[in-house]
Parts: sequence; C-alpha cells; structure tokens
Amino acid sequence: MRKHWSTRFLNILTACLFAGLLVLAVGSCKQSDESRKKVLKIYNWADYIDEDLLTEFPKWYKEQTGEDVKIVYQVFDMPEVMYTKVAMGKEDFDLACPTQYLIEKMLKNDLLLPLDKNFDKTTNYLGAISPFLRERMDAFSVPGKKAEDYTVPYMWGTSGILYNTDKITKEEVQSWACLWNPKNKGKILMKDHYWDVYNMAATYGFYDEITSGKRTRYAVSNDHTDADIAMVEQQLKALRPNLAGWEADFGKEMMTKGEVWMNYAWSGDAVWAIDEAKTVGVNLDYVVPQEGSNIWFDGWVIPKYAGNVKAASYFLNYLCQSDIALRNMDISGYCSAVATPEIIEAQSDSTLTETVNLSYFFGPGNGALKINGIQYPDSSVVERCVLLHDFLDQNDKVLEMWSRVKGNNVN
Amino acid sequence: MQQKISSFIGRRRNWSIPYVLFLGFFVVVPMLLIAYYAFTNDEGNFTLANIRKFWVHPEAMNTFIYSVVVALITTVLCILIGYPAAYILSKMEARKARLLVILFILPMWVNFLIRTLATVALFDFLKLPLGEGALIFGMVYNFLPFMIYPIYNILQKTDQNLIEAAQDLGANPRQVFLKTVLPLSVPGIMSGVIMVFMPVISTFAIAELLTINNIKLFGTTLQENIYNGTWNYGAALSLLMLLMIGLTALLNRDGNSKAAEEGGLI
Amino acid sequence: MIRRLLSSSYLGILLLMLYAPILIIIVFSFTEAKVLGNWTGFSFKLYTSIFRGGVHHSLTGALWNTLIIGLVAAFGSTILGTMAAIGIHNLQPRAQKAVKMVNTIPILNPDIITAISLFLLFISLGISQGYATVILAHITFCTPYVVLSVLPRLRRMNTNLYEAALDLGATPFLAVRKILLPELRPGMISGFILAFTLSIDDFVVTLFTIGNEGLETLSTYIYADARRGGLTPELRPLSAIIFVVVLILLLIINQRAAKRKL
Repeated sequence: MRKHWSTRFLNILTACLFAGLLVLAVGSCKQSDESRKKVLKIYNWADYIDEDLLTEFPKWYKEQTGEDVKIVYQVFDMPEVMYTKVAMGKEDFDLACPTQYLIEKMLKNDLLLPLDKNFDKTTNYLGAISPFLRERMDAFSVPGKKAEDYTVPYMWGTSGILYNTDKITKEEVQSWACLWNPKNKGKILMKDHYWDVYNMAATYGFYDEITSGKRTRYAVSNDHTDADIAMVEQQLKALRPNLAGWEADFGKEMMTKGEVWMNYAWSGDAVWAIDEAKTVGVNLDYVVPQEGSNIWFDGWVIPKYAGNVKAASYFLNYLCQSDIALRNMDISGYCSAVATPEIIEAQSDSTLTETVNLSYFFGPGNGALKINGIQYPDSSVVERCVLLHDFLDQNDKVLEMWSRVKGNNVN
Repeated sequence: MQQKISSFIGRRRNWSIPYVLFLGFFVVVPMLLIAYYAFTNDEGNFTLANIRKFWVHPEAMNTFIYSVVVALITTVLCILIGYPAAYILSKMEARKARLLVILFILPMWVNFLIRTLATVALFDFLKLPLGEGALIFGMVYNFLPFMIYPIYNILQKTDQNLIEAAQDLGANPRQVFLKTVLPLSVPGIMSGVIMVFMPVISTFAIAELLTINNIKLFGTTLQENIYNGTWNYGAALSLLMLLMIGLTALLNRDGNSKAAEEGGLI
Repeated sequence: MIRRLLSSSYLGILLLMLYAPILIIIVFSFTEAKVLGNWTGFSFKLYTSIFRGGVHHSLTGALWNTLIIGLVAAFGSTILGTMAAIGIHNLQPRAQKAVKMVNTIPILNPDIITAISLFLLFISLGISQGYATVILAHITFCTPYVVLSVLPRLRRMNTNLYEAALDLGATPFLAVRKILLPELRPGMISGFILAFTLSIDDFVVTLFTIGNEGLETLSTYIYADARRGGLTPELRPLSAIIFVVVLILLLIINQRAAKRKL
C-alpha cells in the first residue's frame, strides 16, 4: 500500500528529530570553568565591528599570551535587551557595547566588572582613547569605581538635526526652534528616545538660563528637578502637534525618501543617510543647533557575570590600535574614540574646503584639519554639547512624563 | 506489569498527561513567575503598588481600551471580508480551494518586519497617508488569513444533508444561508476571533511603523515597561490584561458552551 | 455565470491586496538601494551578495537556523498536540474545560510576556539557552494551535470505528495508527503548517530564549540589522527567492495531486 506523502515526510522528520535531539543534548551541557576561559562571548550591535577581527583576534591573543581563545559573537537589536538579559537573567557575556547612559546605569547598579589592565608584555593601547572622552566619562564615576576602569569608549558622536537642504535653509536649522515652527508641521520626525529628547527640550527651554549664566548647560541637562521635568513636558506637548511622528529606527530611511524634512538624528546615522540620499537625488545635511545638544558614546563594558575577564580586557586593548580602529570605522560608518595621528591621516580628505578644529580630540596642533565635520565636530560644536547622565531616582517621573507626552491615543 | 502499562496507554484520556505536564511546566509555572514580579517591588517585597498604579494612572488603561477598539474593528473587518472569501472557497473544487487557501497563508512566510515595511512603501507609492487607516489595513492584512482558514474549514465540513433538508422544506437560498449555513459556521468564526482579537492588542511593530508611533497599542506599553527596566509594572499590566480577557472569555463560554465545544480551529 | 465572475473577482482582488506588498519587495529586490522604496537603477547585486556575511553574523546561517527550528518545533508541536487532543477529548468535562482554558493562555498572552516568562523559567532553572530552549519555547506557543486544529476533528469522528477495531483484536496502537490518525490527518497537517508559519516569523520569544552562544534566527538577524543600518537590503531578494520557490513547489504538488486523481 502506497504511503501517503505525509507519512513519508513524518518518517524523515522523525529521523531528523532524533539526530537533532542528540545534538541538542550534547550542546546544552554547561561548560566547565576551564573551557569557559577559552571562550570570549561578545554582545554587540549588528554591523558595528569588522567581523574579520573576530577570527584574527584569537591568533593575536595566542601570540601575546600563549593561550587559546574562541570568540562567540551575538548581536542585539537594542541595548535595553542586553540590560534586561544581564540584570534579570545574569547572562554571562564577557563584553557588551551599550550606549553611555546604560553604562552609567549598569555601573551604579553594580552590574559591571573592572578591566584587567595587567597586560604583561603586551603594549597597553588603551591610552589611545581621546582624553576628551575619558575626562567627560569621569562624571559617571561612583565612589570607589572610576569609570575609566570599567569602560572603554568605542564609537562616539553628537545628536542634532538631519535636514533636507532643498526644503529647509541652513539658517533656519541653527536653532531648535525650527522644530516648533508651525510652517514645518507634519514634516518632522522625532526620536522615540526619551534621553535625547529630554535634553533637547531642556536645552531649548532653558536657553535663557544658559545665556544669562544662571545655570550651566551641564546643569540644565542633568539636574532633572521636578521643575525641569515640568518645563520639558510643556515644551514637548507643544512640539507634538507639529510632528509627523516618533521613530525609533526608520527615521533616516524616511529622510532619504524626502517625505519628511527634518529628523532628530545621531551623527553616525546622519552620515549614512546623507550618503544614501545622494544615490536617489535627495540632499541632506546635519547640524547641531546653537542652543546645544549632547555627545553620546557607545562603550565596551564587562558585565558582572562575565566568565573571561582576561580575554575581554585583551580584546579591548586590541581594539584600541589605530589600524583596527580604522577598520571598525569603515565597517560601521561611525566615528572611533581612538585619537592617534594615524587616524587623522587616514580620515583626512584634502578635497574638503572647510577645516575643523579638532585639538580637543586629537591634541594640540590639530586646529585646522580637513576632516568630515559631521563625524568629527568642530570644537565650537562640542563646546555646546554635554554628556548626559542617567536619570537615577527621577527615572520613574521622567518615564511618566514621557508617557503623558506621547499620549495614549485619547489625549 | 506489561498488561498494566498497556491498559494505561490504552486509556486514551491518559494521552493528555504529557501535555498537561508540559503546560504546567511551560505555561503555568512561568505565569507564576510573572505574577511574582507583578506583586513585588524593586527590592523583592510583596506589594500591591503595581496594581494600584494601573488604576491611578489612566494612561495604560486608555491605551488598553483603544487597543481593544482597534482589535474589535480589525476582527469585525476580518469577518466581513474573510467570510465571503471562505464561503467562495468552500464552494470551489476541493483541490483548487486548498491551493488558494495556502496562497492566502503564503504571505505570512515573508518576515513580519519586511512585510510591514513593504506595506509602508505601498502606502507611499499610492500617496496614501499613514495613520489610523493604515493601521487598520496593516492589521487586517496580517490577520485575515487567520480568519479565513477556520471559517473555510468549517464551511467545508458542513453536512450537505442539512442544507438539502432546508431546501426541501422550502427555504430560498438566502434563508438557507442565514438560517442553516451561517449558524453552523459560528464555531469557525469563534476560532478566527480567538486567533485575531488578542494578538492585535499585543502587536506593536505594526502600530509603530504604520502610524509612525502616533498610535500606541497596548503591546507597545508592555514592551516599553520591560525594556525601560520597570519590570514589575509590566508584569502587573500583563496579568491584568490576561485577567480581563480571561473573564470575558469565561462569560462568553458559559453563554454558548455547546457551540464553543463544537468549535475549534479547523 | 455572473455569480462565478463576481466570486472570482472578489478572491482576485483580495489576493491582489495581500500580495501587493510582496510584489513591492520583489520589484525592489532588483535595485541596489539600501532603503526599501528607493530605486537606484536596475541591478542584480543584492542577489549575489546574499551569501556574503561573516561566520558570525550571516543571513544564510540565520535562515538555516530558522528553518531547522521551525521544522523541529512544528513537528514537535504536531505530535504533542495530536496526542494531547486525543487525550483531552476523552477527559471528564470539568477536567477538559480546565485543560482547554490553560491551553488558550499561550494564544491569548502577548508574545513579550510569553518570552519573559519563559526567560525567567530558564534562568531560574539554570538551563543554558540555545537551540533547545528556543525550540521548547516555540513548541510552547505552537502546540495550542495544533490542539485547536485536531480537537474538532475528534468531535466529528465516529468513535464506533475505533471501538470496532479494538473489538476485532487490534491493539490500541494499531487502532490509533489505522483508524484515528488517518481521520485526524487533515487537522494535523493544518496544525503543522500553522505551527511552522508561527515559528518562522516569531521574534520576541526567540529573542529571549536564544542564549549567548551566537545563535541567530532570521527574525533576530533582521531586527538587529534594522536598528543600525536600516533593513538589510539582501532580505528583499532572499524573500523573493523563498517566495517563488515555495510557490513553485505548491504548484508542483498541486499538479501531481491532480494527476493522481485522474
């Protein structure tokens, strides 16, 4: 009697199932301590690192220490997922690359381990990270834990406005006010990210306090008092009717289509968008408004439950070499935190007409470099940017405010 | 001994034991863990604050009610659009009909995100605005196959004798449909409703992309709470939601228990 | 005559609407633009670059995992669900109602809650996450659909046939294989297809049970890429290829079934 095709299918599947279960059983066994030291688990954004490095590093590691290591690489879509997995699930990643606000949160909540900077005979490249970032980062330090010991900045940038040059003039975009301008109604996309948006609203709303000297920019962005939160809420509620919507990742894509004219964007995304838009004939540009904005960085950290701190530290050391940093910049399109002359040389573009003052980043003597000013902002831009702090105790209040601003479809 | 084992397996109701154990382990216990988070605060102490927060702050409630309305509209539209399609399919030659039913399911095999982005591109192409209309379209688009499938199957199984009997008794085609076919197909509709209604409330990507985050569905609220670290509140919200839906389902079941028992997916 | 025309056009319009976005994906797979909806000229480049991608984060690797997980999970849920349906069907009414209610929980639960609850379960048991946990998680949310597919078939079945087989000397196993399963087969196939469809498209549950050993499915790959550099352009030709292949397979199976009938 002929077997029904489904019976045959099921038979084949049974065989596969048993084979699969065997593989699973073997694979699910937890590793021993020793074998764990031979593995390096990295948790990173997608397309954020040159993957060839993942095969080259073990060789370098063997040369430097004589030990074997195998890299296990996992990508996350949002660093909040990483935070949930580490905090709630005690996942044993050795390295993760969150944005600095999460780094601070993790440091304060005791979720990080310090780097093991004892590199034996290997050169310590960690000093190549720009002192500019290292200084700013110190603000995160907790008593007894210096931020510099717990994180190595990877890529950095600014936040600002990505705008369509055919529809919006350069003068208009110099102030955040253009977002509140009713003539741009329905053509603006805001980031669905309460950190950056809070800062924008606070900086814009309290600009008179900044110019009069009543409060520093840093204080305006990071005080988070109840009065501040109320002001931000007021500003954002006034902004909301002017927006086309809030986006989390597809804003830069919509900009390249020319459907919206302005988007709150991060500098790395802006570079991507400008390039892509050019291929379809749309002209975009990026600017950090005069009132001010923020600097952000993504940094490598070693989560609390890591199993191989040594290899993790060596990896971070490895990443700080100039040629490696350049490769990562190439692949990701973002701006590396490493500040060495080799980087200057590789990134300089003699066809550019304007020069950028980057002494703050690369050290004295670099006051007039021909480098992309969006990736490497001029010192005048950086002067009006601050590094943002975690909201700490005010976090719940800010979230509630954010929820009220975004609305609940009824009001 | 072998006799005992043999008769134990022979008792068909014992076949449910593996699944009952599975459910207990993979559904009930995890839900208890969620309940644990719902009733504790950051330090791990028992508290009812999370539940209270829901009643005190209307945002989550408003979002939930709005999501329910969207789900209702989507479900009704799926029934209105899907029923005729299923009916037509059930009248076709079985082989052809089966092929077409699979054709209705096939778009589901293209990944959800790209499907939704393609819908956005479609709207751009047709110069239609994104917003509530797009949201409903996107929802119906994603869940229509889940409504067509069960209705088609139950219409197919409808006993021809009953229809013929109705015709013999003098009913015209319209009466045959309204009084015979439609009532018999209600279980299929109920299956479709189960598979469409709740998932609509819980989906967040569609609202995010097709309304540029202007409309927030309950699924987004849950996701936000989990991702922003306020797990306790998120857990409480999900428990409350489950409770509310569960209660309505329970009341419904008692109402038409026979029909519900007859019902099923396929 | 007119009714037939109307019926066909109704189905036709519906299918057209359902496939319009798919058509867009296919059309835009022939251009190099990174953003879906931008056209930068005709090009096959994306088709050739599907298979690029390192060892660690590759589209084809993710696709392969998705298929395996989908098939194993669908298969597992079908077996478990069918057995369960047979068992549930024969339970006392009160027990039956209780089990059915718990069975519906995974369908009603938002998937992020299923994801977090299973995540909590696995970590509190110290189970290292990976293939096994993902498949178990998928079976958890797929089996209820299979149960709901098979149960009605049982209700409509003539139970006497099974009893008759037993009376004639068949062992319970034989009776199940020869009498019960053929009756349930359509329900099982529907359940299988449904389970497979749900499994390959799942994102959140997979995300939280995927562990940290580098496992990726198509969904996690796509979402991870979408956050950084926009939706992977290679996804368009990949979807187009998968779609066309499945369509052709369907037509072939359909033709063969027709031939057999004749």
